[in-house]
Amino acid sequence: MIETEGLGRNFDSKVAVENLNLRVDEGEVFGLLGPNGAGKTTTIRMLCCLIGQSSGTAFVNGFEINKEPDATNIRRIVGLLPESPGLYESLSATKNLDFYAQIYGVPKDKRDRRIEELLKMLDLWDRREEPVATYSKGMKQKIAIARAFVHSPQIVFLDEPTAGLDPQASITVREFLIQLSGEGRTIFINSHHLDEVERLCDRIAVMNRTALAVGSPKELASRYWGRTTVIETVEGVERYMDTVKKLPFAMNVRLVDGKMLVDLDDPDKRNPLIVDALGKAGAKITYVTEFKRSLEDVYMKLIGGSER
Amino acid sequence: MNLDRSLVIAKKDLAEFRKNRYIMMTLLIMPIMVSIVLPFVYVIPINELSRQNAENVTLDITVTKVYSGVSISNMTLTDAWLDHVNITDCVISSCVVGNSSVTKSVFTASQISDSIVGDSLIYGSRILNLHDGGGNTIRDSYFIGGNKQLEDLKSVMFNLLLILLIMIPVTIPTVTASYSFVGEKMNKSLEPLLATPIADSELLLGKSLSIFGLSMAATWLSFMIAAGIVDMLAGPALGYYPLPSPYWIVGMVMLAPGMCLMSIFANVLVSSKVNDVRVSQQIGGVLVLPVILFFILSLSGYLSSGIVPMVIFSIMVFALDSGILWLSLRVFRREEILVSWK
Repeated sequence: MIETEGLGRNFDSKVAVENLNLRVDEGEVFGLLGPNGAGKTTTIRMLCCLIGQSSGTAFVNGFEINKEPDATNIRRIVGLLPESPGLYESLSATKNLDFYAQIYGVPKDKRDRRIEELLKMLDLWDRREEPVATYSKGMKQKIAIARAFVHSPQIVFLDEPTAGLDPQASITVREFLIQLSGEGRTIFINSHHLDEVERLCDRIAVMNRTALAVGSPKELASRYWGRTTVIETVEGVERYMDTVKKLPFAMNVRLVDGKMLVDLDDPDKRNPLIVDALGKAGAKITYVTEFKRSLEDVYMKLIGGSER
Repeated sequence: MNLDRSLVIAKKDLAEFRKNRYIMMTLLIMPIMVSIVLPFVYVIPINELSRQNAENVTLDITVTKVYSGVSISNMTLTDAWLDHVNITDCVISSCVVGNSSVTKSVFTASQISDSIVGDSLIYGSRILNLHDGGGNTIRDSYFIGGNKQLEDLKSVMFNLLLILLIMIPVTIPTVTASYSFVGEKMNKSLEPLLATPIADSELLLGKSLSIFGLSMAATWLSFMIAAGIVDMLAGPALGYYPLPSPYWIVGMVMLAPGMCLMSIFANVLVSSKVNDVRVSQQIGGVLVLPVILFFILSLSGYLSSGIVPMVIFSIMVFALDSGILWLSLRVFRREEILVSWK
């Protein structure tokens, strides 16, 4: 669906994106994570054929970017939410959406239905005829997102969809996106909101000029830290450290905050063996659980090592 | 090229303009000032000259003889009606002279209309549509039309008024075009628009259409108002309604749209190459110069001020428009606009 091959972009001598290789499958919700200036917006702009690339290329639904007539075909099948809503403030929500639907060539009856559907979904139907200038920031962002979806595109690029929104508005936008992603289209989200990306995306790429890592949040965590089991016992877990260390599959057994942490290659298979060994040693186990690394840990590990 | 998309853009822009007080004020204030205030300024001297001419002219003609289709020379005529007559070396008083050719004659207290008069003296007469053959001395007469002095004054005044009216379609686009393109960029609405399948030519056409429509509507309305006021003020004194003259009509129908398009395309061209709104807005001022130059050359006699030079000049303007449009399309770069415009 989206494939980049060594994609790069320089602005004069400044490298914004270099050697970016990504693959986003059809129907996938894909997140591009990275700090400000990491090249996320530049990547989206290149994929939407708004700006050209300096090196490499990319394909969107089989069409090559920035090459006519492919570029026009790409623009036809994608929807874009840019960093700023960019609405026509003096016009109403309906007029804003209708204008874009007409530009995309959506027939009158279909666009009326679609606009009604989107505005009702966003809870803006009652204020549809009011000028957008009278809307709150969150409402404007919702209209801008609706605009990206008004022509029912196959692929939607969202650049920071919840940036600057209050928590309530962010939740509404997220729910809206979840609802629309269910329609089987590919959604490509740029964000530095780790929580948002973790909730919405099937897979993510952490980016800082180039893709530092690609995968699901869980995959990335296990890729960088392996999987870790946490054990706590009633009588103090430190007395059972040697018991666990003797097990051949247990790696890096350590005590952290009164809890035993053990790195394992396959916790699902090894945890029962640890429980069995501890039981034989007389330990009364309070709990055995997997230590979960957050996306933030992954992000900080990757970005921390690549900051310019 | 999809014309429907251009029309959608034009309609949207017009809807936005209607709701923008700044644009509407710009559209209204200058045309109102030019079309309502200025005709008063220009018509007053014309009326004053006509009034001065009309003073002390009283005619008391009782026609007793009729001359038609003949040649008369070395005669003294009184109380006669001369139609299609060749008059040479005559003394004519209290006569009605029409459609005639007169040389080396003296008129007093007569009415002369639609005639060619040369090397003659005219005193205390009414003159309508005089074709000045040169060498005439005319005093204390009421020139209903065709007087050279009055005609020259009218020509200067109406040309000056036309210059100012043609500045309307030149200057309005500097505001509307700047708003239309740079405004989109400043409102950050250009990026989502450029991400649609709209072609550069469709976008430029749509934007230009809305600006052109609005500017020409304001212009033609101003022309009509100005012509109406001039006719209302000067008509009674002149004995006919001077506007719209053929010269004005060519100005309205050809030169004004041509200059409007030039202003729009030049603004588009400059807007896509500069990153400052003010630079784009200065273009209007520069574009007024060729129009002023044309009229200065016309008024000073370096260029004939007839309809033909106006048509030729208008065609040259349209040719220049095509060149600027071609250049605008060549230099219009989505990427440059997104990345460079501030």
